[in-house]
Amino acid sequence: MKDIMMDIRHLKKYFNTPAGKLHAVDDVSVSLERGKTLGVVGESGCGKSTLGRTILCLNEPTEGEILFYGREKGSYGANLVTATKKERKLLRPKLQMIFQDPYSSLNGRMTVSQLIAEPLLVNRICKNRAEVDEKVVEVMETVGLARRLAMAYPHELDGGRRQRIGIARALVLKPEFIVCDEPVSALDVSIQAQILNLLMDLQEERGLTYLFITHDLSVVRHISDTIMVMYLGKCVEMAPADEIFSNPLHPYTKALLAAIPIPSVDSCHKRRELLQGEVTSPINPKPGCRFAARCPHARESCRSAKVPFTERTSGHYVACCQ
Amino acid sequence: MILDIKDLSVVYQTDMEVVHAVNSISLSMEQGETLGLVGETGAGKTTTALALMGLLPERTAKVTKGSIWFDGTDLLSLSERELQRVRGDKISMIFQDPMTALNPVLTVGDQIAEALLLHNVEGHSRKEIEARVEETLELVGIPKERKKDYPYQFSGGMRQRVVIAIALVCKPDLLIADEPTTALDVTIQAQILSMICDLQRKYKTSVIMITHDLGVVAETCDKVGIIYAGEVVEYGTLADIFEGDVHHPYTVGLFRSIPSLTGSARRLSPIEGLMPDPTALPEGCYFSPRCKQCMDICKKQKPKVYEKNGHQIRCHLYQQTGTAGEMEGSGGR
Repeated sequence: MKDIMMDIRHLKKYFNTPAGKLHAVDDVSVSLERGKTLGVVGESGCGKSTLGRTILCLNEPTEGEILFYGREKGSYGANLVTATKKERKLLRPKLQMIFQDPYSSLNGRMTVSQLIAEPLLVNRICKNRAEVDEKVVEVMETVGLARRLAMAYPHELDGGRRQRIGIARALVLKPEFIVCDEPVSALDVSIQAQILNLLMDLQEERGLTYLFITHDLSVVRHISDTIMVMYLGKCVEMAPADEIFSNPLHPYTKALLAAIPIPSVDSCHKRRELLQGEVTSPINPKPGCRFAARCPHARESCRSAKVPFTERTSGHYVACCQ
Repeated sequence: MILDIKDLSVVYQTDMEVVHAVNSISLSMEQGETLGLVGETGAGKTTTALALMGLLPERTAKVTKGSIWFDGTDLLSLSERELQRVRGDKISMIFQDPMTALNPVLTVGDQIAEALLLHNVEGHSRKEIEARVEETLELVGIPKERKKDYPYQFSGGMRQRVVIAIALVCKPDLLIADEPTTALDVTIQAQILSMICDLQRKYKTSVIMITHDLGVVAETCDKVGIIYAGEVVEYGTLADIFEGDVHHPYTVGLFRSIPSLTGSARRLSPIEGLMPDPTALPEGCYFSPRCKQCMDICKKQKPKVYEKNGHQIRCHLYQQTGTAGEMEGSGGR
């Protein structure tokens, strides 16, 4: 039996804009297994980050249910959407986030140790100052920050170390679930590999569950157990990581995989079928398949019919009319 | 040979310190070729490109030695006026960030026409120039009716097409593409890269492709230079770099850092540590503090270039043994 940690049901997030309703996340349902990683991929503007933020209720969901099955009593089966502010605050330490840009997500006027201690103080976890300091030192060691950096300010550090501060801030509360919103996209490849290794080690050690948001398909394949492909707020395909790369079913997933430049000579100067056009607007989308305008196999029926989200083979879900 | 950079060094000087951005880089390329420059942030890729264009910041940057031969002239010896005639006409550049590279208060048509007007030696009429602007827009896949639109009306991918149109409108001999697709999504990246390749074939343009993405290099380049701390540590044909038997340890580390799309390794083996501070570069080999195969000599003496059939590696490993065969298993991937 699967040990489910979070159940997301029919989650919707619409934003009001002068031009109409922007469907950032539209009816996404997914279950997160404890200790596993769900990778979310898609192009910019497809609603990946909004999904991550909405799951943690950093954006108020428009509709849907988020059921969290925490390890402790009281947090078992809590519905984050209907929870009061007070209840949410109690759950907050269990649900953390690593933000995308290590350059702008840290307060430049705080030292490294202050930055890491902040979540502890906000959540009133520790009884006294000594305990706070102890925890800060401990977590700095876990993420690989040298102790001499405790008094440094973020601007003195490089991107990789700053991202380690972001990870330390999330980890210090001993969370069960972390939303990683493009944690490596601002970093160079050699540093990116260091951070990915760190995240995977931590997962193994502490049984963490990740929602890993990225636009880099090779990163997502490397770190994820299950992968969800998003297009204009909809989940178009979901399957185990290997399955989605070996047997992609949705035309968008196929196009996405074909577009990755592969670092080997065999691929050189060979261009596969390219996806034409660009992502259309998510404001007041038309009924039918949202990918139809760019899809090479689109038929008349795609533009009107409701798109079913069906299980084709075990664990492999696709939203396509064909 | 269309371009020959010899022993180029560039420093940035401030009151406090001297940043050694480019250290004795030598590169050359033939007509119609694509040269890839690969390296991490701060390796000196963009500084090299700016030196080529004569666009280094005036006050702080200084070329300390070297020469850049383009079509028989040393670009570094030209006056600003002479350089202006080359820049944008013979050599042009695609800048990294399409969001900030365009002027927001001019229509895209005017911005493309600007390059033509500045280099209008043959005295074309305004009408001919407009026709050429429309032709170029169509070429990069933008309907010509949109030439009266402003940059904010375009998406990221479309703006990058405009930037490419500006760079190509004068049919340059050399095009420098500085991370042309880094700010774009993969599907748009694929469109833009295939467009650059098509246009290159059409005009026989030589292209310098600056990137940190080895996948982009594999798809577009003929020759590759791997840059680390302002030095070319390895240079060769695409096959040398991707399939050769011997490599610089940094190249090996770079390849091992990329998560594979086909393999099943759960752990990556990244290069430990960070790039050296360019204000205080280590003695000897610049890569030695991070190198797993570092020897005593590496910390004291700068390595010379080991060369075999045009494949150059700047490393002590190969000078000691002299032959490539002995290094297999440790130097190869």
